[in-house]
Amino acid sequence: MAAVMVSSAGGLLAMLNEPQPSLKHHALTHLNNLVDRFWPEISTSVPIIESLYEDEEFDLHQRQLAALLVSKVFYYLGELNDSLSYALGAGPQFDVSEDTDYVHTLLAKAIDEYASLRSKAVESNDMVDIDPRLEAIVERMLEKCITDGKYQQAMGIAIECRRLDKLEEAITKSDNVQGTLSYCINVSHSFVNRREYRHEVLTLLVKVYQQLPSPDYLSICQCLMFLDEPQGVASILEKLLRSESKDDALLALQIAFDLVENEHQAFLLSVRDRLPAPKTRPVETVQAIEITDAPNENPSGDVQMADGAPAPAPAPAPTPTIVHETDPVDATYAERLTKIKGILSGETSIQLTLQFLYSHNKSDLLILKTIKQSVEMRNSVCHSATIYANAIMHAGTTVDTFLRENLDWLSRATNWAKFSATAGLGVIHRGHLQQGRSLMAPYLPQGGAGGGGSPYSEGGALYALGLIHANHGEGIKQFLRDSLRSTNVEVIQHGACLGLGLSALGTADEEIYDDVKSVLYTDSAVAGEAAGISMGLLLVGTATEKASEMLAYAHETQHEKIIRGLALGIALTVYGREEGADTLIEQMTRDQDPIIRYGGMYALALAYSGTANNKAIRQLLHFAVSDVSDDVRRTAVLALGFVLYSDPEQTPRIVSLLSESYNPHVRYGAALAVGISCAGTGLSEAISLLEPLTSDVVDFVRQGALIAMAMVMVQISEASDSRVGTFRRQLEKIILDKHEDTMSKMGAILASGILDAGGRNVTIRLLSKTKHDKVTAVIGLAVFSQFWYWYPLIYFISLAFSPTAFIGLNYDLKVPKFEFMSHAKPSLFEYPKPTTVPTANTAAKLPTAVLSTSVKAKARAKKDAEQKANAEKASVSESGSGKGKEATEKEGDSMQVDSTATVEKKAAEPEAAFEILVNPARVVPAQEKYIKLLEDSRYVPVKLAPSGFVLLKDLREHEPEVLSLTDAPTSTASPATGAAAATQGTTASAMAVDDEPQPPQAFEYAT
Amino acid sequence: MDPQLTEVSQQLERFKAAFVRKDYNTCSDFLSRLKVLLTKFTSLPPLFENTPNAAHELTLARDIYEHAVVLSIKTEDQDAFERDFFQLKPYYVDARNRLPPSPQENLILGLNLLRLLVQNRIAEFHTELELLSSATLDNPCIKHAVELEQSFMEGAYNRVLSARQTAPDATYVYFMDLLAKTIRDEIAGCSEKAYDYVSISDARQMLLFSSDQELLTYVNEEHPEWEVKEGFVVFQKAKETAPCKEIPSLQLINQTLSYARELERIV
Repeated sequence: MAAVMVSSAGGLLAMLNEPQPSLKHHALTHLNNLVDRFWPEISTSVPIIESLYEDEEFDLHQRQLAALLVSKVFYYLGELNDSLSYALGAGPQFDVSEDTDYVHTLLAKAIDEYASLRSKAVESNDMVDIDPRLEAIVERMLEKCITDGKYQQAMGIAIECRRLDKLEEAITKSDNVQGTLSYCINVSHSFVNRREYRHEVLTLLVKVYQQLPSPDYLSICQCLMFLDEPQGVASILEKLLRSESKDDALLALQIAFDLVENEHQAFLLSVRDRLPAPKTRPVETVQAIEITDAPNENPSGDVQMADGAPAPAPAPAPTPTIVHETDPVDATYAERLTKIKGILSGETSIQLTLQFLYSHNKSDLLILKTIKQSVEMRNSVCHSATIYANAIMHAGTTVDTFLRENLDWLSRATNWAKFSATAGLGVIHRGHLQQGRSLMAPYLPQGGAGGGGSPYSEGGALYALGLIHANHGEGIKQFLRDSLRSTNVEVIQHGACLGLGLSALGTADEEIYDDVKSVLYTDSAVAGEAAGISMGLLLVGTATEKASEMLAYAHETQHEKIIRGLALGIALTVYGREEGADTLIEQMTRDQDPIIRYGGMYALALAYSGTANNKAIRQLLHFAVSDVSDDVRRTAVLALGFVLYSDPEQTPRIVSLLSESYNPHVRYGAALAVGISCAGTGLSEAISLLEPLTSDVVDFVRQGALIAMAMVMVQISEASDSRVGTFRRQLEKIILDKHEDTMSKMGAILASGILDAGGRNVTIRLLSKTKHDKVTAVIGLAVFSQFWYWYPLIYFISLAFSPTAFIGLNYDLKVPKFEFMSHAKPSLFEYPKPTTVPTANTAAKLPTAVLSTSVKAKARAKKDAEQKANAEKASVSESGSGKGKEATEKEGDSMQVDSTATVEKKAAEPEAAFEILVNPARVVPAQEKYIKLLEDSRYVPVKLAPSGFVLLKDLREHEPEVLSLTDAPTSTASPATGAAAATQGTTASAMAVDDEPQPPQAFEYAT
Repeated sequence: MDPQLTEVSQQLERFKAAFVRKDYNTCSDFLSRLKVLLTKFTSLPPLFENTPNAAHELTLARDIYEHAVVLSIKTEDQDAFERDFFQLKPYYVDARNRLPPSPQENLILGLNLLRLLVQNRIAEFHTELELLSSATLDNPCIKHAVELEQSFMEGAYNRVLSARQTAPDATYVYFMDLLAKTIRDEIAGCSEKAYDYVSISDARQMLLFSSDQELLTYVNEEHPEWEVKEGFVVFQKAKETAPCKEIPSLQLINQTLSYARELERIV
C-alpha cells in the first residue's frame, strides 16, 4: 500500500465542530490513531475535545474516547497529572496491555499515584478517598502481571501499593514459591522504608511460608527474628528438635547459628528461655537462666567445653538416674535442646570463632616491631597507638606474645595509657568467655577498694572484661556491678561503666541502669562520660523514656564530657527505630548546645542506620553544610556512613563533594563516612576518594583518611587491588618518617593495626549474610568513631570485627575434616606475605643511629676544636655507615629475591585456578562466590552458604570421623587432633594454659 | 457498483439540484446526510485505503466538500466555511497524486485566503500562501487575494475597495463586502491612536461612509467609547499610559541575601 498519510489533522479537527454526533465520533476515532503524530495540532483543540468529554448528552463510549484523546495529548505535552486524570475517565478504553510509551508512562504514573495515596492513607490513619478508577487500573495491571508470569513485578507493585492481599496472591500463584518468597524478603529489606509496614509484609510472608508443604524454616526464622517473635522461633525449633530425623535437628542447629549471627542478644535470650528446659538436666537450666555468681558458672562452662566425648557426656554426673528413667527419644531431645541452648546463648559460636582465630592467626609481629622501634620513646600518643594497634591486630586471637615480649617497653604506659594497655588485653582475648576473668585477674581490683594495683590498670581490666564478654555478658555482669559499687575512684568507675555497658548490651537491665545512673549523678566528668555511654549501650534500640531523663541531665550538668557521653548514649537508645525516633532527633538537633546537636547527628545515624533513608540523608547533608559548630558538621558527614552502609556504592558518590570541602572537619567526616560504610569492601571508588585525603594538608584529616582506608581495605589482597600494596608502603613510610605529625603517625599506626585485624582473619561487617543489621557491629563502630575525644574508645572497633571463615560442623558441633574448593586463583585471596622488608628497614635504621652518633661525635669534636680531623672522622664514619647500609641492602635484596623466587615457585601452581580449602577455612567476603563443594564429599551442608557456620550432614555416619579443629587454645590434651591446629602459636597457648590454674584461687579469694 | 457509492452519488445529484434551485435549507440537510455517509468510505482521509473504488470515492467526496464550501458562502456562514474547507484540504494536499486536479481548487483556495484576510488572520494567510506552488500563485483567483493583501498592508485602502469590481468570481463578493468592514475597523483603530478628535465630516471621509448617519450608527455600535459632540468625534484618551511597573525591590533584596547566605555555606 502506498503509505499516503494525511499531512495535517486539521480536517478531522474541523469535523469535531460538525453538529452531527456520528461525524464527531468518526473524527474522534481517527484522531485517536493519529494523535501520536499530530498532537501539536490537536493540542490547540483540547478545549473542544474536553467539552465533548464533559457533554452529558453523548453516549459513554464517545466520551471515553474523547477522554483518551485528551489524555494522550496531555501526555505528549508532559502534563502527566492531567493526562492521568483523563486516562482514568477513559475507563476501559485505556488499555493496560498496550505496548506503547504512553501506556507505560501512564501506568507508572498511576501506580506511583496509587502507592502514594495508599501510604498516605495508612500513615495518617484516616481514610483518603482513592479514586476507584485508579484502583481498578492498578488492579488490572497486577492481574496482567500475574497472568503473564511476571511475579516479581506484581510483587513489587503490590508492596509499593500496600496491597498485601495482592502480594499474597502473587506469591501463591507463582511457579516457584520459594524463589519468590526469598526475593520478596530481599525486597522488603531493601525497599520498604517504613518499619511498621515492613513488619506487616514480613508477617504476611511468614504466613505464606507456613502454608507451604515444605516450609523453609531458615527463612521463616529470619523473618520472625525481624518481627521480634521469639515464641514463633522457639516453637519451630522445638518441633524440629522433637522430630525423629537427624536432618531436622541439624536444620534446627543451623537456624540457631544463623540467628546468632545477627547478634540480637535480647531476642536470642528470649528464644532460649522459651524453649522448654531439658528434663534431664535441671541444674544446668537453672544456671542458664539465673546465673547468680561466678563460681557456679565456671563448672557449667567447663562441662560445655569438655565436649571431647559426644553428646550425652554433659549429663552424666549430676543426674544419671533421671536419664535412665526417660526413654531414648526424650534423651536425644534433651541432648539436642542443650546443644541449641548453647548455640543460642552464643557460647558455641564464640568458642568456635575463638578456636578458628587462634589456629589461623597470621598476624605479622614484624610490623609491630617496626612500629615499636620507629616510635619515639617519649611520644606517649604513638606509644599507646602501638598498643592499640597490637590489640586490634590480635583481636580475638588470644595471642599476646608481643606484649609479653616487650614488658619493659609496655611499662612506659602510665595513667590512661595504662588503662588502655590493660583494656587491650580484653580485645586480644575477646570471646574468651571461660578464661576471661582469670586472665584479667592480676589486674582486677582485689577485694573491693583497697587493692594495691593502680586504679588505671584496674579500670582498664574492668573495661577489658566488658570487651571480652561484649554482648554475652551473663556471667560477668554481677562481678562488674559489684566492682562498680565498691569503688569511688573515677577511673575504676569509668572502666566498670564501659564494661557493664558492653556486657549487658541492649538488655535494658533495670538494676544495672540504676547503678550506672547513680555514678552519673556523682557528676564526675570522667566517670560520668562513661556512664552516659554505658546507659546508651544498655538501652540500645529500646527507645525508652529514659532518654528524656538523660537529656534533662545533659542540660543540667556543667561537664562537657558528661554531656557528650549522654548525647551519644541517647543516640544509642534510638538505634534502628527509624521514624519512631523523629521527635527525639528533632529535639536534639534543635538544641542550643552543640554537643547535644552532635548527639542528634548520631541519633539520626543510628535510628536510620543502613536504611539509606532519603529524609535522613537530606537532613544530615543539611547539617553538614549549615551548622555553626565544626564538631556537628564533622559528625553529620560521618553519620552518612552509617545511614548508607547497606548500599556502600552510594557513599563515595554522595560524600565526594564534601571530601573536597574547605573545612578540614568535613573532610575528616567524609573520610570516615566512606570508611564506615565501605568497610571491608575494597570498593574501588572508595579507595580513589580516600587516596588524596591521605596526603591532606591537615594532620587529623590524614589520620582519619588512613584509618578509613584501612577499614576499606581489610582483607583485600594486593593481587586484587594493587593499591593495597601501595597503601601498606605508605603507612610504613609515615611511621618511619621522623618529621611526620603525631596525629597522622597515630593514624598510620592504627591503620596498620586495622589492616591486619584479628590475625588477618576478620573483616568489618555491619550486615549479616541475611542482610540484617548487626547491632553490635554498628554500635561498636559508632562508639569507635568517638575516639576523636577519647582514645580508649578505639577498642570498640573490635565489636565490628567478624571472622571470615567457613566453619563446618557435624551433628556433635565438632569440626570434621572436610574439603571444599575455592574456584579462583589462590593468590587473589591469600594472606599478605609476611613482611621481609621491615628487617631490611630496621637494618637500614641502624645507619641512621650511626649518623646520630656521628652528630654526637661532631659535637664532641667541636669541643676539641679540631675541625679538620673531625670532618675526616665524620666522613669516615659516614662512609662506613654507607657501606653498612649497602651491605644490609644487599642482604635485604637477596632476601627479597628469595622470597620472590618462592613466590614464583608457588605461582607456577596456582595456574590451576583453584585451591582446596580444609574446614575450617578462611573465606574472605570477595571469595565467597567462588566457593564450591567437592562432589564426592562425605559431608553435605544443610544450607548452601559459602561462609559462616554451616552444619554438615554426614553421609557415612559409621566411619570414624577425623576432626580438624580441637579445643585449642584451652585444652592441652588433644593429641589426636587434625593437622590444622596451628603449631605457630604453641607458646602462646602454653602461656594461656599456664594461667589456667589461677581462677579457682581468685574466686576463693573474692568470695 | 457499490450500493453505498450509488447512494452517495444519487444524494449528491439531488443536493446539486437543490443547490441550483437555491434551496439552501434542503441543501444543508442533504449535506449533513452526505457527510455521514462519507464516513463509511475507508478510502477517504485519513485512512486512504486502496479500495477498488478509491478514485471514484475520493472524487465524489471532494466534490461534496467543494459544494459544501460554496454553500457555506451562500448561507454566509463563516464557521461552516472554515470547517468544510479544512475537511476538503486533505483532498487537495494529500490526495494530489491519486486524483486529477479539481477545476474548483484555485477558486476555493482563493476564497480561503480571502476569508483569512477578512478575519484579519494575516499570519495564517501567509502560511497558506507558502504552501502554494509558484504556478498556482499566477492563477487570477489567488493573485487577486495576494494583491488585496498587499494593498491592505500598504494602507492603500482605496485600492482594496475598488478591487470589489475586479473579483474573479461571484462568490468573492460576499467576502469583499466583509473586507470593507475590516478595513474600516483598521482605519478606526489607527485614527484613534493618531488624533485626539476629528470633525465629523473628516471622520466620515476617513471611514469611507457615505452619510453622517451611517457614521453615527457605526460609532454607536462598534465604538461606544467615542464621544460625538459639537461636530467632533472625540477619541477617548482613556488609554492613559499605565504607571511604570513597580520594581519588586523587597523580593530582590531577599533573593540577594539568600544567595549570599548560600555562598557562605558552599562546601
